[in-house]
Amino acid sequence: MHETMLGRYLTFESSGGPSLTLEVSGRRVLRMTGATGLTGAESCLAAQALEDEQKDDLIKLLQTVAAPGQELRVLALPNPREGAGVSVGIPVALLADLLLIDLNPAANLAEPVAVGDEAAVPAPLQPASVGPEHSELEPEAAARARITVPSRRTVRAIAPVHDEVLPKPKSDQIPLPGSASEPAGLIPDANQPLSAVTDAAPKVAEGGLLSYFAQATGSVLISWLVVGGQDDGRTEGPEEMVSHLQGFLGDEAPDLGAQLDLISSPPGKPVCIVLGATLVEGHSVICARYEAGVLIGVIEGDATQSILRAWSASLGG
Amino acid sequence: MGINESLGAVIKAYPQTRVVAFADLSASMILASQGKDDVTQEHLEALCRQARASFDDPLFSLSVEAFGEPHAAVVMGHDSVRVFLRSDSEPADALCCICDHAIDLAGFVAKIRKTLDQISAGG
Repeated sequence: MHETMLGRYLTFESSGGPSLTLEVSGRRVLRMTGATGLTGAESCLAAQALEDEQKDDLIKLLQTVAAPGQELRVLALPNPREGAGVSVGIPVALLADLLLIDLNPAANLAEPVAVGDEAAVPAPLQPASVGPEHSELEPEAAARARITVPSRRTVRAIAPVHDEVLPKPKSDQIPLPGSASEPAGLIPDANQPLSAVTDAAPKVAEGGLLSYFAQATGSVLISWLVVGGQDDGRTEGPEEMVSHLQGFLGDEAPDLGAQLDLISSPPGKPVCIVLGATLVEGHSVICARYEAGVLIGVIEGDATQSILRAWSASLGG
Repeated sequence: MGINESLGAVIKAYPQTRVVAFADLSASMILASQGKDDVTQEHLEALCRQARASFDDPLFSLSVEAFGEPHAAVVMGHDSVRVFLRSDSEPADALCCICDHAIDLAGFVAKIRKTLDQISAGG
């Protein structure tokens, strides 16, 4: 279950008789859609979406089906309802915790699993991949796996874990001395008055859309530069910050263009992204693209107050 | 309050919100959503992809260098604003929203931050 990303109906049939069917998706148990030979399944079956209050009942049912010494068959079917009002359900990780099951893949490898011959390709229990370039299971697959269950722990031990793919901070990230993470060159000296930063150069009074946008954003935009387009070469802010941003654009321009294509709707249209820890305090990175020009900059403080108004005004909204 | 009720409360408080969705970014999956009736599953999947792309390199690394790991993103286009928030405690949990330009962004960000924290905390 922990490896089931795409929507699936998973039926667990014990050689002892009882069985249950769960709707599983995204490592969460969404619903119980069937149960035979089990007492106490009513509350789970009645729930439109399993929630915390059903977890104890669900655990008891799982323990009954996966009784020690019994053979367990697993049947996986695609879920044609996938995406139709899917609810959050109960995280499989939570169930594992409550059952004292270790989801650590190292523990899985250390623990032998008895698998029957016909489980050579246990499709329902294959590790799930993440991302559009991977598919978890053949959509039409309805494969059976037969698993001898010497203990409850074995039930999940057949499924290795794939880590999520969110990007991680680079190990060589710039340390954040003091109270905040102020990398040399990108964030100005904390002792430097903000006015000394924002007034270091006059605001651009003329130019293209990106310069107008930067000007309209106001003093929270403490450093920026534009590469390409009508405002190519325009900069503002402390030299060391601008230099850092220039270096970034020089190194990452192709990848940045690809990233902006992914987030703009439709691709190639004007887009602006502000990325921050909270957006309302500290620093945020801003990147805007209009036609052939790209603006990259740093915002200090609350980005939410002026940025949307400035963008709308720049686009003539 | 359940997940759908929490998302519905966001729509109620900020009617300029076209859609608000709770997503598992690690699985690229929208787990629950509320919003206008004409929002299709394809729209939601595209929204989830945009959320992932927003928290990806190279801007992700630049942000990490500047202030640490980003947990919030605002993407402004020509006719809409998309707001993506990641949970501090469960970074794969995220709220993905599409709003009109007229929205009070400061108040909206505060509202959905509170909502996401509640959802990630199981409440």
